[in-house]
Amino acid sequence: MNYVAPDSLEDAYRALADADAVCLAGGQSLIAAMNLGLAAPGSVVSLRKIGALRGVDVQPDGGLRIGAMTTHAELAAMTTTAAGPELVARAARLIAYPAVRSRGTIGGSVALADPAADYPVALQAADASIEIGGPCGSRTVKARAFFRGLFETDLQRGEIVLAIHVPPGAPGAGAAYEKLSLVAGDFAIVAVAAIGKDLLDLAVGGCGPTPIVATGIRSSSEALAAAGRTLAASCDPPSDHRGSAAYRRRILPEMLRRAGQAAAQRASA
Amino acid sequence: MPDPTTAAPARAIGASPPRLEAADKASGRARYVDDVRLPGMLHAALLTSPHAHARIVGYRLDVARAISGVKAIVTGADLTGPRAGGIIKDESMVARGKVRYVGEPVAAVAAIDAETAERAAAAIGVDYEPLEAVLTIDEALADAAPILHEEFAGYVKTIDGGAGNVVFESSVTEGDVDAAFAQCPFVVEGTWETQAQHHLYMETNGCVADVDATGKITLHVTCQSVHHVQQRVAEELGEPMARVRAIATRVGGGFGGKHASNIHSIAAWLARAARRPVKLVLSRTQDFEVQRSRHPARIWMRTGARADGTILARDVRIEIDGGAYADESPPVLAFALLMSRGPYRIPNVRARGRAVYTNKLRAGSFRGFGNPQASFAGESQIDDLAQRLGMDSVELRMLNAMQPGSTAFGGQPVASCVLRECLARVRDAQRGASPLPPRAGRRRGVGFAVMSHVSGLMGTAASVQLRSDGSVSLSTGCVDLGQGSDTVMVQICADALLLPMERISYSPQDSDASPYNWKTAGSRSTYMTGRAVAVATVEMRKRMFDHAAELIECSTEDLELRPGGMVGLKGVPLEVSFKQIALRSLFQAGGPISGTHGFVFDGPGFDPKRAAVDRLAFANLGVYTFGAHCVEVDVDEGTGAVEVRRAWCAHDVGRAINPASCEGQIQGGFVQGMGYALTEAMHWNDEGWLTTVTLADYKIPGVLDSPVEIHAFVLEDPDPSHPVGAKGIGEPSLVGAAPAIANAIRDAVGARVRKLPMIPERVLDAIDSAT
Amino acid sequence: MSTAPHHSSLVVNGERRDVLAPASTTLLEVLRGPLELTGTKRGCNHGVCGACTVLIDGKLARACLTLAADVGEHPVVTIEGIADERGLSRVQRALVEAGAVQCGFCTPGFVMALTSLLDSRPQPSADDIREALSGNLCRCSGYIKIVEAAIRLAEGEGA
Repeated sequence: MNYVAPDSLEDAYRALADADAVCLAGGQSLIAAMNLGLAAPGSVVSLRKIGALRGVDVQPDGGLRIGAMTTHAELAAMTTTAAGPELVARAARLIAYPAVRSRGTIGGSVALADPAADYPVALQAADASIEIGGPCGSRTVKARAFFRGLFETDLQRGEIVLAIHVPPGAPGAGAAYEKLSLVAGDFAIVAVAAIGKDLLDLAVGGCGPTPIVATGIRSSSEALAAAGRTLAASCDPPSDHRGSAAYRRRILPEMLRRAGQAAAQRASA
Repeated sequence: MPDPTTAAPARAIGASPPRLEAADKASGRARYVDDVRLPGMLHAALLTSPHAHARIVGYRLDVARAISGVKAIVTGADLTGPRAGGIIKDESMVARGKVRYVGEPVAAVAAIDAETAERAAAAIGVDYEPLEAVLTIDEALADAAPILHEEFAGYVKTIDGGAGNVVFESSVTEGDVDAAFAQCPFVVEGTWETQAQHHLYMETNGCVADVDATGKITLHVTCQSVHHVQQRVAEELGEPMARVRAIATRVGGGFGGKHASNIHSIAAWLARAARRPVKLVLSRTQDFEVQRSRHPARIWMRTGARADGTILARDVRIEIDGGAYADESPPVLAFALLMSRGPYRIPNVRARGRAVYTNKLRAGSFRGFGNPQASFAGESQIDDLAQRLGMDSVELRMLNAMQPGSTAFGGQPVASCVLRECLARVRDAQRGASPLPPRAGRRRGVGFAVMSHVSGLMGTAASVQLRSDGSVSLSTGCVDLGQGSDTVMVQICADALLLPMERISYSPQDSDASPYNWKTAGSRSTYMTGRAVAVATVEMRKRMFDHAAELIECSTEDLELRPGGMVGLKGVPLEVSFKQIALRSLFQAGGPISGTHGFVFDGPGFDPKRAAVDRLAFANLGVYTFGAHCVEVDVDEGTGAVEVRRAWCAHDVGRAINPASCEGQIQGGFVQGMGYALTEAMHWNDEGWLTTVTLADYKIPGVLDSPVEIHAFVLEDPDPSHPVGAKGIGEPSLVGAAPAIANAIRDAVGARVRKLPMIPERVLDAIDSAT
Repeated sequence: MSTAPHHSSLVVNGERRDVLAPASTTLLEVLRGPLELTGTKRGCNHGVCGACTVLIDGKLARACLTLAADVGEHPVVTIEGIADERGLSRVQRALVEAGAVQCGFCTPGFVMALTSLLDSRPQPSADDIREALSGNLCRCSGYIKIVEAAIRLAEGEGA
């Protein structure tokens, strides 16, 4: 296996032109997969030296541009009043464990698209956008279109996630992230991200190959439960030893209600 | 035992000095097996079976042999000697003729580095003829089920009792169960199911096998008995035990999962063949796939009582899934049957059971040894009975509890029993604790469980010597798995000599040098080896007194020990030091002073006048300990998620040699039992592949999952057969966790969960069924 | 398929150490192998157990999930670099004295996690402590005495 650590994006794109090359961001997923014999890339392109991938910039509207190499720990430590960034911070705090959060990055997580990961759920609820760079230039894709399937995204060969743009959310909106897992730090059995005030945008993780989004749901208990039942009936959750598909469908409405009402309660007048 | 010493200010027994090796562990110096490197050391890799059940038709080794750096290969074709195994000799280090589970080692390679060894192992060709596999007890017992061990009848066995896919069958009966049930107006009945749990020691299994110029093997091994490893490896290699030596490295947890196993023989075989040291340390995934699990079990139980709550009858059927090899299935089944009455005075009990072969990883010894399975059912059923009777479950337990002078199931008299005190202690502690504020959406429940266990069995010995400077050398064969036995043995010795612990050295366990010890298992170390240490030390002390009497010119009856290594004439300042005694013995008269003591557990066995025991699967066991748990849980009614908020665990340890270590065992055992109760399970798919092979799949409790408070109450009711009254504590605290939690869940949401682990889905399903 | 070895120049426990190893070699393998620093343990090799915890640039990291080649100039501290002139650091001493060390295999990882916590937050709350230790698994102790030792440290013991 070859290892390179380019200093610039251009050098990185060149290194990634090789079909057998993968990006190394925080390594918390890639190296684990390599250790378990589940991944054996021909070359690894470390992004750690590329300054353009770092930094969290507050935008004039209160939203964030989060550099792809920002760690979960940095995001978890964010204090913010805007609901979109707050939702991302809440999700970041529940990812794995401290030692993983100090190295793992939002860009790496987003590019991997693990169906049980936390950011894809939060980012889709928040209607974030993924800024992607490649040898032919950069483009932006809505998070709600970026996550295509199980470990499948809109990234093309040779492209890198540059940043994640998180809108601030409606004025006075609240945010909540509810996660049920077997033990603390584990992947979610079901996770729900909610953002809004009287009307909520919600995303559900753990109930299919990608998170399921429901927008414009009223924050009343009845409306959330009804939305939950609709989503439960139409989703395709996995069955595994953490819980069956039927179980995930069963608790989805309750998790949705909890996340939605928590977000609504945190909203300000 | 008369105590000839004067009252000393601070005794070693009852204190909680830091562990002897704690500083080494905390600084990273402690040497575990993977830290061992020897010059010229090779690395071993395993090739394992992809089939749950198949005949091995042939091997193709040419490609593997030709890989540069490969130094030795072993397959089943190389094995011509007898089969190995503890009670039933049905296995071998690598598969012979047949594979019986996915993951079974089929071949092994030693090469100059790990990568070469892996490549060579993968290059070994094995031709299989797949056979139909049985993956559950029911499949294995069905008519015309494929038979795993076709030659079972011809295997060498210490205990017979199986046929077909039944490894072992046994029963224990007292009284007349059927007649007694007829007199019970209140009868409850139920079936419980428990899962395969993994020991999940933080250090995986492994060893480094070294070889000398004559081919004598020395294994550096993380294990629970150097003698057991020596014996198995010698047997499998066809060597006398004098040519196989096992030395224990520092052990990173055992829990029953580090007994002698195939990997020790594999490493030794490869080292002997290659004439170079060989390291074989399992990866976490391999450890899941290749070692052993706890026995999954199905327990049917029926209990009958009079209206006043007196329990008259219990009928039990237990089936345990032993996996592909017999390992310790017979004694696990037998112990489960023995523990199925619970610590109650039930006069009519019938317990019957079977252990069954299936095409999965074998199950074996694991902290609790059948008792967790039996107690999950039994202590759940006691609560069901209490509910039916309209009685408080603690009162029902108190009413029927064993007491001093009771007999255990099987007829052994129990001399010391403070079960009621343990139960009262946890009940009162929970009642007296400030209530935790309620949480929205959560229902709070309180649950109890009681347990008994044993701590005396098999054989052990200790040896102690006086050195020329008056310090002492102590040696036993008891391997410390982390529970603190090294420190406890030195405390016992120090206490008997009034000597500071720093003046006692404790030898590492080496089968060539250490006195025999069966195993660190069965909660037996403090009772058995501690008893041997106490008696050996007193024997040495007597000889020292003989010398002191000569030096002082008095009678030994007039002598007393004084703190700090002195022996003096009672009533006067006249004294001699241990050093002076030693020098006299070494250079003047008498010879080096030592003391030894060895014994096999000598407690009473089963009483044939009381109990009919069909096939005894183990030797005498005894020295009963008792305990009680109380837990508080919060149950999330919307998801079924269970959180254990607080726990109170009272255990009778006879005498707490090191109270902090007792607490540590109780707290650790409780959390391991909580994992068994709530989140841990090994899963196999329909083709017999183990699917939970990483820590991402197999979830044990972390600090955020564990209760913030686990109050460990260490009760002392000395056992008269032990010089300092001690009993055991290693296993009982795991036993009570699952039923106490199940009972707390029922208290919280009115739902009885009968299947482990009680993951949120199962709890929610039970809530649904109850409403 | 063999790969050309990669040269990494690491700073470990204050010393520069040069390592030649395949690029796919993890920091854990380098520490335990050529650098002979075996105090950092391999419990699972896939980032869950925490036995391989080290500090990189003062922050907790899983050595098994870090490529040695990717460490660069960021200083690495292992359990061997924790003891002070008195032999054991106050964190190590507290664990030893609290009876929080049983089999000891997880102990180096807990020492690193607690050391990092107290360096950044000298008086952590019990909740801070549990959160900081949430990525270190222990099978022996049930965590109670580990947290008790940490609380005593937070209250200033041994300072």
